[in-house]
Amino acid sequence: MSELILTLKTAPAQRVDCSPLTVDKLEGKSVKDIAAVSLVVGNQKLRVDELFDISGDDPALLRFDNATDKLDHIGHGMTTGTITVNGNAGAYLGQFMMGGEIIVNGNTGIYTACEMKKGLIKVNGNAGDFVGAARIGYKNGMTGGTVIITGDTGARTGDHMRRGMILIEGNAGDYCGARMVSGTIAVLGQVGAHLGYAMKRGTLLLQQAPTQGISANFNDCGSHTLAFLPLMFASFKKLDSKFANLEPFSRVQRYAGDLSGIGMGEILIKI
Amino acid sequence: MIINGVTIDDTFAEAFPMRGTRVIITAQNLEWAMNSAQAFTGFATSVIACGCEAAIERTLEPHETPDGRPGVACLIFAMGGKGLAKQVETRAGQCVLTSPTSALFSGLAMDQEEKEIPLGKNLRFFGDGYQISKMIDGKRYWRIPVMDGEFLAEENTGMRASVGGGNFLILAESQPQALAACEAAIREMRKLPNVIMPFPGGVVRSGSKVGSKYKALNASTNDAFCPTLKGQTKTELSPEVESVMEIVIDGLTEDDIKKAMRAGIQAACELGAENGIRRISAGNYGGKLGPFHFHLQEIMA
Repeated sequence: MSELILTLKTAPAQRVDCSPLTVDKLEGKSVKDIAAVSLVVGNQKLRVDELFDISGDDPALLRFDNATDKLDHIGHGMTTGTITVNGNAGAYLGQFMMGGEIIVNGNTGIYTACEMKKGLIKVNGNAGDFVGAARIGYKNGMTGGTVIITGDTGARTGDHMRRGMILIEGNAGDYCGARMVSGTIAVLGQVGAHLGYAMKRGTLLLQQAPTQGISANFNDCGSHTLAFLPLMFASFKKLDSKFANLEPFSRVQRYAGDLSGIGMGEILIKI
Repeated sequence: MIINGVTIDDTFAEAFPMRGTRVIITAQNLEWAMNSAQAFTGFATSVIACGCEAAIERTLEPHETPDGRPGVACLIFAMGGKGLAKQVETRAGQCVLTSPTSALFSGLAMDQEEKEIPLGKNLRFFGDGYQISKMIDGKRYWRIPVMDGEFLAEENTGMRASVGGGNFLILAESQPQALAACEAAIREMRKLPNVIMPFPGGVVRSGSKVGSKYKALNASTNDAFCPTLKGQTKTELSPEVESVMEIVIDGLTEDDIKKAMRAGIQAACELGAENGIRRISAGNYGGKLGPFHFHLQEIMA
């Protein structure tokens, strides 16, 4: 068995729903069967081999080459295996993911790790808006797993997030941690405006203070040494990320909010 | 069987199934971790009246603890899972939560066959709504705001089917000699993992038998081994034996207890007959009560 490689023949004009392409749905299928799987592309259906050149046969090691930002729903609901995306990925990467690993060597679109439950997503590039968020109208975003973004994220990172970890090596956009219910978002770079807007619970861990300051609906709780931070940094050690090599710190300035709501969230800034 | 002039009796120690767990208490320094651990394992010599048997297993270097601070590993055993959970919870609440700079972690991973028992799971309510849960590496921790900062406690700890009541008796020509042999034995036994000797200093001088002449009591002094009663009762003691002391061992597995008994008996025997150590025996109830039998001569073979 060798890595199953799907190489995009030409960049599609319409969006492609790649959700049938996970090990859970391809397990046990021959290359011929995989070639015949139909994908929804815009308003029509196309066979996999009409879009992709196929080589290899192991769906547990799936690779998309020449990928473009039209490839949506990559790794949809996957429970195991590894997906590598060389190129950009579209919206809803790793939606409902329950295990396994997705590595993107490129940028991702909106709703990366949407309502993800478990597993690991690493984007070696930038991610769009709503990383780890809930679908529109839904209350629960990401409920577990780890997302690493080596670049920047768009707006509303962790919207409605409930559990799990989003680690951003670059900058986070506006409304980072908005409506967050729980979980942890750590940012090495800068954050945009309205940090933690309507945040209920959870932790926003920042390596540097936001240049625009903290919004008025977060209250300063003073500087503290928090015992859980060394444990958290120790858990980063096994990740392939800048966070693994981060100098651990446990001294932080703690801000509680959003006080317009229940105010149980916190922004922790390294001091 | 005779080792260095010390007779090893052809008898066995009878032990019982218990439920046990290990917790790790850390603090700013070892002194404060120890203060908390001593309180946590206090009044826990025997299940007869303490509800559990607990003791400090060993101290831990900063690199051995989850949060990188100095710590102490404690083992705690009770007759059942429910009893153990209650003891761990009340003790953690009164002796660890209260102790300055402390943090509390599980020292035993979850076992497939046994349920986990709560550690910080219910202590969190002390936080009165300000407690914060953090999932780190698949384990849940509770951050409970307290007056010195934050008390960090792991949610659960693993439980194991364990063995309690392994024991041996040291029979000597005098009280100081019996105690010296016990001290030597305890020193060696404390070097071993997964076992505790729950009595004060690891030694018990009031071994008991089952039953009593008084209806209200179900255990009473082991008169057969009481040296002052040599002429009054059906004694086990020869004329030259003037003092008997017992070492009780609880361990996570049968094998751990065997190893500890061997190390302890060996150390006592090294003092030998010239230091007044005459016999090594063990306590049992005829083999009818406990499923674990530790035959002294087999262990020392």
